[in-house]
Amino acid sequence: MLPLPTFEYAAPTTVLEASRLLGTPGSRLVAGGTDLLVSMKHRLFEPRLLVSTRRLGLRGVSVADGVLSVGAGTTLREVARHPTVLEHLPSLAAACRTVATPTIQGMATLGGNLMLDTRCLYYNQPAGWRASLGYCLKREGTVCHVAPKGRGCYAAHSADTVPALWLLGAEAEFVSVRGVRRIPVSSMYHDDGMAWLRLEPDDVLTAVHVPLAGRAVGHRKLRTRQAIDYALVLVAVRAPVDGGLWSAVVSSVSPSPIFVEAATPADLAEAAFRACQPLSTHLPAATWRKKMVRVEVARAAAALTSA
Amino acid sequence: MSDSENRPGWAVYATHSGEAAEGGVLGRAGPKIDGRARILGAALYTDDLHLPRMVVGKFVRSTQPHARIVSIDVSGALAMPGVVGYAIGSELPQKYGVIPVAQDETAMAIGKVRYIGEAIACIAAVDEETAHRAVRAVKVEYEPLPAVLTIEDALDPSKPHIHEGSRKPSNILRRIFQEYGDIDKGFAAAEVVIEDTYEYPGSTHVPLETHVALANLEPDGKLTLWSSTQNPHYVHRDVAHVLGMREQDIRLIKPTVGAGYGGKCDPFCTDIVAAHLARKLRRPVKITLEREEVFYTHRGRHPTRMWLKMGFAKDGSITAIDFKAWAEGGAYASYGVVTSYYLGVFMPLPYTLENYRFESHRLYTNKPPCGPKRGHGAIQPRLALEMHIDRAAQALGLDPAEMRRANCIAPDTETCNGLKVTSVGMRECIDAVVTASGYHTRRGALGPGRGLGLAASAYMCGALHPVYQNELSQSCVQLKVDRSGEVTLYSGTADCGQGSVHMLAALCAERLGIEPSDVRVIEGDTSLTPVDLGSYSSRVTFMAGNACVSASDKVREKLAAAVAAKLGVEPAALTFNGRRVFVTTAPDRALSFVDAVWLAEEMFGPIGEVGGYKPHKIGSRFRRQSVGPSPAYSFTAQVAEVSCDLETGIVVVDKIWVAHDCGRAINRTIVEGQIEGCVYMGVGEALFEEQRYRGGLHAVPSLLEYKIPTVHETPEIETFIVETHDPNGPFGAKEAGEGPQLSTVPAIANALHDATGIWFTRPPFTPEVVLAEISRAARAAAQRPPESS
Repeated sequence: MLPLPTFEYAAPTTVLEASRLLGTPGSRLVAGGTDLLVSMKHRLFEPRLLVSTRRLGLRGVSVADGVLSVGAGTTLREVARHPTVLEHLPSLAAACRTVATPTIQGMATLGGNLMLDTRCLYYNQPAGWRASLGYCLKREGTVCHVAPKGRGCYAAHSADTVPALWLLGAEAEFVSVRGVRRIPVSSMYHDDGMAWLRLEPDDVLTAVHVPLAGRAVGHRKLRTRQAIDYALVLVAVRAPVDGGLWSAVVSSVSPSPIFVEAATPADLAEAAFRACQPLSTHLPAATWRKKMVRVEVARAAAALTSA
Repeated sequence: MSDSENRPGWAVYATHSGEAAEGGVLGRAGPKIDGRARILGAALYTDDLHLPRMVVGKFVRSTQPHARIVSIDVSGALAMPGVVGYAIGSELPQKYGVIPVAQDETAMAIGKVRYIGEAIACIAAVDEETAHRAVRAVKVEYEPLPAVLTIEDALDPSKPHIHEGSRKPSNILRRIFQEYGDIDKGFAAAEVVIEDTYEYPGSTHVPLETHVALANLEPDGKLTLWSSTQNPHYVHRDVAHVLGMREQDIRLIKPTVGAGYGGKCDPFCTDIVAAHLARKLRRPVKITLEREEVFYTHRGRHPTRMWLKMGFAKDGSITAIDFKAWAEGGAYASYGVVTSYYLGVFMPLPYTLENYRFESHRLYTNKPPCGPKRGHGAIQPRLALEMHIDRAAQALGLDPAEMRRANCIAPDTETCNGLKVTSVGMRECIDAVVTASGYHTRRGALGPGRGLGLAASAYMCGALHPVYQNELSQSCVQLKVDRSGEVTLYSGTADCGQGSVHMLAALCAERLGIEPSDVRVIEGDTSLTPVDLGSYSSRVTFMAGNACVSASDKVREKLAAAVAAKLGVEPAALTFNGRRVFVTTAPDRALSFVDAVWLAEEMFGPIGEVGGYKPHKIGSRFRRQSVGPSPAYSFTAQVAEVSCDLETGIVVVDKIWVAHDCGRAINRTIVEGQIEGCVYMGVGEALFEEQRYRGGLHAVPSLLEYKIPTVHETPEIETFIVETHDPNGPFGAKEAGEGPQLSTVPAIANALHDATGIWFTRPPFTPEVVLAEISRAARAAAQRPPESS
């Protein structure tokens, strides 16, 4: 058995109380826990305090004024099965259904997915293994094994729902002791594997708002197996209207998702290929993953064209 | 009616006329007698067992591939509340190992470490959390040594010896050289010679249950050890040997085991250190490995480099085989000496061959030790050989299926290297899968990126010789029958999920005319059950099955004598069926089975019988052929259908048709399950699985990154059981648990050639490798000048 480290646990009933607790050192927010608890077992985090979202009333989906609002504590399964999501936002439903396994989708939350830690072959490993390697830049070490001469940490953004939400124009709502604010999903992330979130530690993600009238978005997740696995290349593609541009967001190839646009699907695939420089954060060769960026974007665009 | 009976592809071929199934049990489909307990979670695995005052042991493991241990400081751990004791390697200096000629292992490292993940010390604490924290507080100081990490390193005389005192020039555990017939003459007669190298990767077993041991010192000074092992007998011997105890003072119990696939054949540090600490601390000690530790414990498939040269006559017959193999074995011998033989000895099967030479090397490297994994040693060369057959067929313009069919060995032959083959269902297997898959019409016609491939193979049914020299029974079964009507069967076998408990119950029930569920099987307990050598080399159905039939026949004889006297007929006139013993020609003249037992006990006293099995001596022309000979051989043919995405290189196995000659199916559902399991494991090795390393560090010691197929990657599998009724098997049965895996990977490789025109000689066939080869072939085709016609 891989035991969890010892920690304190709090389940506050107001978001402000949660924010206040998160402002104290060594605390972390936990929702479904499907990723966080595994990382804790690997000793990637040994938080003093876990602050749970379960009593914050963040679970549920509502529709008003052409906007779908999803509570951050809503499970991916609930999102994927919601009639409005299925009818108006099929790419979001599809993205939720590609996360891990059906059982994990029943536990993991949409908010947790947006806040997912960046991932790397040299980081998401048990403590003894990382000790054998001399640890890594992101945790306990000084060297990045992916790019020993690089400028920082290249752990990959791996949140399955983010590329689709980005292109759907979704906004994330945060509450803290400083107040309420909305940030477009497209502005949430930094290109830094260690500090990939443009947020304060006491920001509590409460909801995700998605306009229903957006343009058609296609979603594709390339992975080794059709269940369990994190993405090797994750893409969302948006079709243009009235002679506008095609857009794509590519993830799992760098710490932040990458946005590109172009006039044609072929140019879009080429632009994505040029923009993405995947490194050896995953087992399959980075050169192959780079080629797959072009293929996946082209296929996502083709699916939209034929639909 | 079971699924398998409804399945359209189901077919049973009988090439020999078998004994009638008098008891009505043989050949049934349906669940195992012990299946329900597993499904309901009621079966007790070793980790389910708890004893009063029990403590938990946790290993400190090496972070260096090759290093001298300068110091081990456990004081920080011992100072923690809840830590009750420790053990280090020097407390257990006795070397051990299953193979007597290669005992190079100690329970924990002494003086130096030889791979990352090797156990160095064990901390005992009151619970898992405390043990974990305590292990992290142990300080080990190392002085690194140059590491031996590749086949080249292992063959390099300038590299240090991993095991001091070796007289070999480099890190070679064993070299085998054998030659039969006239190899030069063979090649001289060849129309086509194919020569190439192949690389087969290492892979590991991934049993769902990790290795677990629980030890308890009894008040009388004797020791009880519960272990999740495939081989209770060998573990029993080695634990006694290392602890300096009499075997009779140790009781080794194998609870329910959650699979092994060869990964639980060795005695492990879990067994020995739990036993040692139980004696040292005078408290029960349990050690449960974590998944990461299982990747280091390993004993899996040897990464193997192979060079194969084969000569073929115009008609497709094989004129000569010259084969060399280098198997990278990791830091300890495990079963590696056996591996070095298995790499070569099965090559003369299943095709006729007169001229054969092989040279194999089993090497040491600073990595987790390799050992037996399903299809032990025979998996790797089978890929090379079966791809060579397809390549020769292409060169000669022959049909690969017909070529294989024409060259199958006949029943009752001796191979050039002295293997005595009895029953052979090879052609029936090939015919079944070729017909069902539409191989003749669909191969080469599925369009770009899609293909069909065929491969055939043969495997053993138990080793003729035990791993340590003795002339005793290799399997023993004891039966107790009493007036309640219950039959209790005692056997030293170790069911690890493959169904040997059901097999024993079914054979006994068949002979006594009762139901398998009427037989209570007590197995794998050295104090209660007679010796069986264990679940390895596909030996259990053949050997324990024969012992079971022997014991059952003795019981039956007494029951028959008593009933015959009562009914006034000859014993031979009786039939045992449906929990009754009756006169065959007058079924109304009958006694219930329980009444028959009463009568027999009145006549003979208490009823208890034993049966043993030892293979009869097979006089081989070759004295040195001590590893390889088996009392019988199983045969398999498979057709794989694959799709290859030419833009991504992603390969999908769409379907496998598999036919296996298991001699006789004692339970068809279990046979099908074993065949499907083999195919599943083969698909994993073909597409995903590899023990990858970064230097000496296992790159992916988790089930997230070490990819085994999920249900999505598992192809549809259509299974055909071919029955040949082996003259020496129990009711004609052979094996089904390992042989079917041999031809899966080569069938997929040959299908990939049909799909892409490329011979892929190194599994796993990952997208990046496949795409790179497709691109290379396209570039080469573009540069080639147009053919002049």
